[in-house]
Amino acid sequence: MAKIGVFVCHCGENIAGKIDCKQLTAAMEQHPGVAVAFDYKYFCADPGQESVKKAIRDNNLTGVVMAACSPRMHEATFRKACAEAGLNPYLCEIANIREQCSWVHTDGEQATQKAVEITRSMVEKVKLNNNLQPIEVPVTRKALVIGGGIAGIQAALDIANAGREVVLVEREASLGGHMSQLSETFPTLDCSQCIMTPRMVEAAQHPKIKVLTYAEVESVDGYIGNFKVKVRMKSRFVDMHTCTGCGDCIIKCPIKKIPSEFDCAIGKRTAIYTPFAQAVPNTPVIDKANCTYFKTGKCKICAKICELNAINFDMQDEIIDFEIGAIVVATGFQVQDNSVYGEYGYGKYKDVINGLQFERFASASGPTAGKILRPSDGKEPETVVFIQCAGSRDAAKGVRYCSKICCMYTAKHAMLYAHKVHTGKAHIFYMDIRAAGKGYDEFTRRGIEEDETSYLRGRVSKVWEENGKLMVRGVDTLLGKPVVIAADMVVLATAMVPQPDAKDFAKVIGIGYDEYGFYNEAHLKLRPVESSTAGIFLAGACQSPKDIPDSVSQASAAASKVLALFSKEKLEREPVVATNNEATCAGCWGCVLACPYNAIDRKDIVDRSGKLIKRVASVNPGLCQGCGTCVTFCRSHSLDLAGFTEKQIFAEVMGL
Amino acid sequence: MSTQETYKTKVKELLSSGKVKMVIGYKAGTTADRRRPHFMRTPEEVDQLVLDSACITNLSGYLLSEGLLSDGKEIAVFLKPDGIRSINILAAEAQLQSNQVVVLGFDINGSEISALQGERASDFQALTSSSNEARLHKQQHPESARLEQMTPAERFAYWEDAFSRCIKCYACRQACPMCYCRRCIVDNNQPQWVNTSSHTLGNFEWNIVRAFHLAGRCVECGNCGRACPVNIPLGLLNMKMTDEVLQSFNHYPGVSETQEPVLASFKKNDSETFIL
Repeated sequence: MAKIGVFVCHCGENIAGKIDCKQLTAAMEQHPGVAVAFDYKYFCADPGQESVKKAIRDNNLTGVVMAACSPRMHEATFRKACAEAGLNPYLCEIANIREQCSWVHTDGEQATQKAVEITRSMVEKVKLNNNLQPIEVPVTRKALVIGGGIAGIQAALDIANAGREVVLVEREASLGGHMSQLSETFPTLDCSQCIMTPRMVEAAQHPKIKVLTYAEVESVDGYIGNFKVKVRMKSRFVDMHTCTGCGDCIIKCPIKKIPSEFDCAIGKRTAIYTPFAQAVPNTPVIDKANCTYFKTGKCKICAKICELNAINFDMQDEIIDFEIGAIVVATGFQVQDNSVYGEYGYGKYKDVINGLQFERFASASGPTAGKILRPSDGKEPETVVFIQCAGSRDAAKGVRYCSKICCMYTAKHAMLYAHKVHTGKAHIFYMDIRAAGKGYDEFTRRGIEEDETSYLRGRVSKVWEENGKLMVRGVDTLLGKPVVIAADMVVLATAMVPQPDAKDFAKVIGIGYDEYGFYNEAHLKLRPVESSTAGIFLAGACQSPKDIPDSVSQASAAASKVLALFSKEKLEREPVVATNNEATCAGCWGCVLACPYNAIDRKDIVDRSGKLIKRVASVNPGLCQGCGTCVTFCRSHSLDLAGFTEKQIFAEVMGL
Repeated sequence: MSTQETYKTKVKELLSSGKVKMVIGYKAGTTADRRRPHFMRTPEEVDQLVLDSACITNLSGYLLSEGLLSDGKEIAVFLKPDGIRSINILAAEAQLQSNQVVVLGFDINGSEISALQGERASDFQALTSSSNEARLHKQQHPESARLEQMTPAERFAYWEDAFSRCIKCYACRQACPMCYCRRCIVDNNQPQWVNTSSHTLGNFEWNIVRAFHLAGRCVECGNCGRACPVNIPLGLLNMKMTDEVLQSFNHYPGVSETQEPVLASFKKNDSETFIL
């Protein structure tokens, strides 16, 4: 005989302001199976919880319905209270009469009616609830960090310094990411590589970190605490153990004019190369597409020059399997292709470059050794025009969001230019100067006041070439008139966009992404470093445009989440898992295919003599995540979900 | 020798040699233009075999009779191209092993019939592939086209009228080779999702659930429509589901037994028009 307690929460005025809680309570008191029903101002407060516990004990309740806010808010609170009163926590259900009722309706009478229906429906469900016991699963205390930029390195170091093992996977030949390409960093103007390379070395030498460069994550299976990850080690054609990184092969390689990816095509590289001088590891890779040997079958000069015989043209890709407990995704960003802006002439005029290319010019390790030179004739530009929001905040051609870092790096570019070319003049076309951050506004003011950067508030309509100059036509909206500037170089503050394969990769690892391809956090404000998939965390610009301090902060935050997960040997999981009725299972294996967690196996049912009677599906509760995909697929409805059984759902629907 | 006679000789041989324990074919029915299934275990029973243009029923479903295949012995069955595709689907869904089934293939062209060469379902890959190609370019059925032109309200009224005749006899289910579940959802009364009484809502529920369960699995053999005692145009529903699955997932059911069930498998390039 069901003895259900119904507790109607006012939530201050949030619920009681619209719903007649007395009427709702009275209606529930009349409902068959309800032993006790009363209302209270705040059930989540201690006295409220105590009154629920007392009601459970006094009435020997067999189930509890809290008519209150969303289960996402207080389900855990109330289930815990029930458990303390000796009731199985899974016999407590939440009827959401706030988010799904009082907040969204204007007519109080109708809202009350609806609240009665919602609550009644949950009472009907809870009558069929069963005692469930939490499932314990072991945690593999080893983390995978995907992406070897500053965010990935920071997360890996934080986890490793806490004593846990880390696998750090980077798809390029060296750690470093975009930060290693930068010249100086705002707002302190310290050299990017000088602060980056020690971190790279620290990560590479850390006994707890296994660094895999030139490697890509091929697949991720499993679930929180127990991921199975396959990593593809792309063939470098150079043996990492024998190579000392002497660089002789690079010097002798006859193919020398390949545009360097690291130098944004300003510099050139050879077919066997390291991306940059301070690369970690310092082992070169052979670019198969451009190598003479791979194209024609002849050359092998690098192999002949290498005294250690480290070059191996027969090297194959290798797949390594890892058991992983938590994953930090730090796959970073790309800069937008500016050729969509025909009017700015990017790609058409050599001296129109993007911000990242300017970084390479300004960098001491860059192809010009830190001199700002025009790509067309190698002369020092006397006037440089910077165009901000070249892609950002532009719904028509670019992206709608603000890329966040461009105001600051453009201010920095103008400042670096002023420091390197004393007679030069820098003009910046801007929409707004967004300099929110520690020391940021002071930095832009310093550019304007000390380095005489000229800021023009307005957009640029066209850039064209005339007498060896780049003519920039824009508008100064503060003066209210058009301006034309004859420049020697134009720098576009290009938008930050997700990696081109970000969406595909999200599907490989099983996390969500937004319309652009930035990875979705579980909650924008309260869970910004967690993905919606348990055990997978986000760090850096793969989630949204970020500068270095933000990326580092988020990386450390993600690391702390990983460490919290690793602090226990076992993980307690909700017992919401699928079960199979073997008597009715038709053995079609649709569920085996449909299951995203590979949690369903084939099971033979045999008689006493061992003769096969039938084959059925069998759910492994340790692997099952309770997503219900198999349940919806099963044509004979043999599969069912504990806590959400068909009978319960049916009763819930019929209770309406 | 006619195709029927050739096959009679072949069937006798199959049975007398012991290669198969049973041959499923056709024999004369209650009227001149109807055939009924004929289960032959001895060469003597073969004399009653009929194979002509009236042999349109897809016999593949009979293979799944409880226990029939459990001894591992082979069974031969007369199949049109649609029936051969059924064998592929049943094999893909682990209901039978295709090397236990000898296909006696034939096709109907007007009033003529012709034999199809091959022994196992996999021998007919070229045929099933060309059938896939032909289905892609098939002219839309006029009644189907007429339904597409209707407003949703008109279409609802059309089906409401058609389903109002349904008496829940489940003959469509019994006739369908794909409805092999030992316990169908409508036989489950804890809970009773699909109402058993014959009113509009329950009738809609049953017929739509049936159509959905066949999406990406139906070979359009027409068994269900022919079995329906109240002439509900079930074929139209199945045709629509086949169109949808072809358009959305480029999946034509039963081309081979290695095909994955379309609604149970996930591909990265599947269209996701309803998922962000």
